[in-house]
Amino acid sequence: MITAGLAQALLFGVANGCIYILLATGLNLIFGVMKLVNFAHGQLLMVGAFVAYEVTTVVGLNPYVSILVSMGSVALIGIVLEKFAFRKIRGTDKLNEIFISLGLIYVFQYSATLLWENSYTIRIPSPLAGLSVPLGEVSLSYDIILAMIIVVVILIGLVFLTKKTKIGLAMRATSQKSDASMLMGININRVYLFTFAVGAALAGAAGAIYGILFPFNPAIGALPTIKAFAIIILGGLGSIPGAVVGGLLYGVAENVTGYLTNSTWQNAVAFALLIAVLIIRPTGLFGEKGE
Amino acid sequence: MNFKTVLRAVTNVFRLRKFQYALAVVVVVALLPLFVRNDYLVGSVFTDMIIFALYASSWNLLAYSGQGSLGHAAFLGIGGFASALLATKLGVPPIVGLFVGGLISAGIGFLVGLACVRLKAWFLAMVTFGFAVITVTIVSQFDNIFGGMIGFATPSIVPRGTPFFYATLAITTVSIATIYLVMKSKWGLAFKAIHENELEAKMIGINTAKYRLLAFVISTFFAGVAGCLLTENQLIISTDIFKIDNSFLPLIMAVVGGLGTLEGPIIGSIVITSIEKFKDVANPILQPLSPLFRGVTIVGPTLTLVGLGIFLILVVLFLPQGITSLLHKIYDYLREGETTKKGAQKNEGK
Repeated sequence: MITAGLAQALLFGVANGCIYILLATGLNLIFGVMKLVNFAHGQLLMVGAFVAYEVTTVVGLNPYVSILVSMGSVALIGIVLEKFAFRKIRGTDKLNEIFISLGLIYVFQYSATLLWENSYTIRIPSPLAGLSVPLGEVSLSYDIILAMIIVVVILIGLVFLTKKTKIGLAMRATSQKSDASMLMGININRVYLFTFAVGAALAGAAGAIYGILFPFNPAIGALPTIKAFAIIILGGLGSIPGAVVGGLLYGVAENVTGYLTNSTWQNAVAFALLIAVLIIRPTGLFGEKGE
Repeated sequence: MNFKTVLRAVTNVFRLRKFQYALAVVVVVALLPLFVRNDYLVGSVFTDMIIFALYASSWNLLAYSGQGSLGHAAFLGIGGFASALLATKLGVPPIVGLFVGGLISAGIGFLVGLACVRLKAWFLAMVTFGFAVITVTIVSQFDNIFGGMIGFATPSIVPRGTPFFYATLAITTVSIATIYLVMKSKWGLAFKAIHENELEAKMIGINTAKYRLLAFVISTFFAGVAGCLLTENQLIISTDIFKIDNSFLPLIMAVVGGLGTLEGPIIGSIVITSIEKFKDVANPILQPLSPLFRGVTIVGPTLTLVGLGIFLILVVLFLPQGITSLLHKIYDYLREGETTKKGAQKNEGK
């Protein structure tokens, strides 16, 4: 029985990991190119989940198609945020980023509370709900399999975008040296806008998948942001493979710890680890040496 | 130092413009309960404003040294719990507990500060936020000592209401004056240098680690004192004191009022506490909007919080120096008008 429970915890860990991967990758992309941390990134996930929920229940689209709608609308929100908020404070005190994100957290979280029922039971109805592949004592639901496939597809798309397209080249150049790339004729305002939109779209996709796999409410955004941040600190700032491996490991570790010990300690243990890593290496495990 | 020099020093202080203003503010606030004979306003709204002015000032001092904490509620709670437990379990008088609570908070602040000394903006924010989460997790494990969500009753220095209002005013005035003196001292200069550019500060020979730690300890001491005051005003303490809002509010207050200034956190506390208290009163006004929102039945509180977020963003974008800069501008404008008028009169006289 213990092994069956452990295996189930592992599977849930993978499902959680999928969401963390998307969130951490988006956050990492934005950080890598713009050197900006949007602490309201998880609130974008929450908005994405609600958009997908509305699209499936009101319009009647397939939930897996609604992921695309969710990505698009959250990307639009991201464009507005970058253009009218984060661009204005670029180059000023780093604390301003934290202040703006905090304001955004309040706006998103409480607007969602106003607009949607604040119950913990909302879940995007999936046509595959209840169907699963039996694997010995545990079962792997189709939803989780599909979520994993979608995450892989999105990540391949992202790698293609950054490695093979012109805008991806511009993104990589800007991330290395924004001044120099500006001198080479790259419109870095456009690159920043595009990067933020892509990062937000990833959060939107994460939100829709979250909504399919787990019940959600307007307050779900807060902790995933912190965890995604922890993942990119551990996995390396600006490194997408680090975010993928880190996200998966974190999701599994979190669920297995929760299964083996008291689940109230889950978050505290995660933070204790994070703090320990930062004390030893102030810029993260794979971070660059100080400025 | 004889009597004369002391007298001269004191009169010199009295001649200072800033001191006169500060004295005027304290006197006006002290007279408030004479005119406002409303227990809720004095005991709850005004007293909370003063406590949060201290709390926000303590956060502000930390930000003054370039360190932004997202977990100050941990220190607020540690101070509050320390004084409450000392008073109920050991029978320590609350006025002593106030300082011991502050000292315990500063002691833990020292350890956290030690961990944070090398961290930059968002890493520091993460670690302090994480520390608050860890603190609340640990405290929640020992409900028999800390009382959990329900909490336990605590004694107060003086009875709640007007007496406590004056006690709070006195303690806060002394504390904020101390914070101001620190900001204007050699230490404050070092804090400012670190805030502007840590590398350059290090290059001109400032021991950045030492001063950052110092800012952390002083800030957490006063956060602890504020926590004691908050607990004693509510006469009850529970793990609710660790709520995330308590970490974010001092930040919002300091930023809205004016970061790095003496008066900023005080103005911010007045504005934000008014908004916070307004959410209870605003309900009848905002309730007609409820058909627009199907999420909640009582829209007032939630809508006020959305407004708070928008307010914060607008202040950061359009008034980066906070409300105080606006007041300074108005003041300068008025004085300028006066002086030009006087100048014109002089010219006419010639």
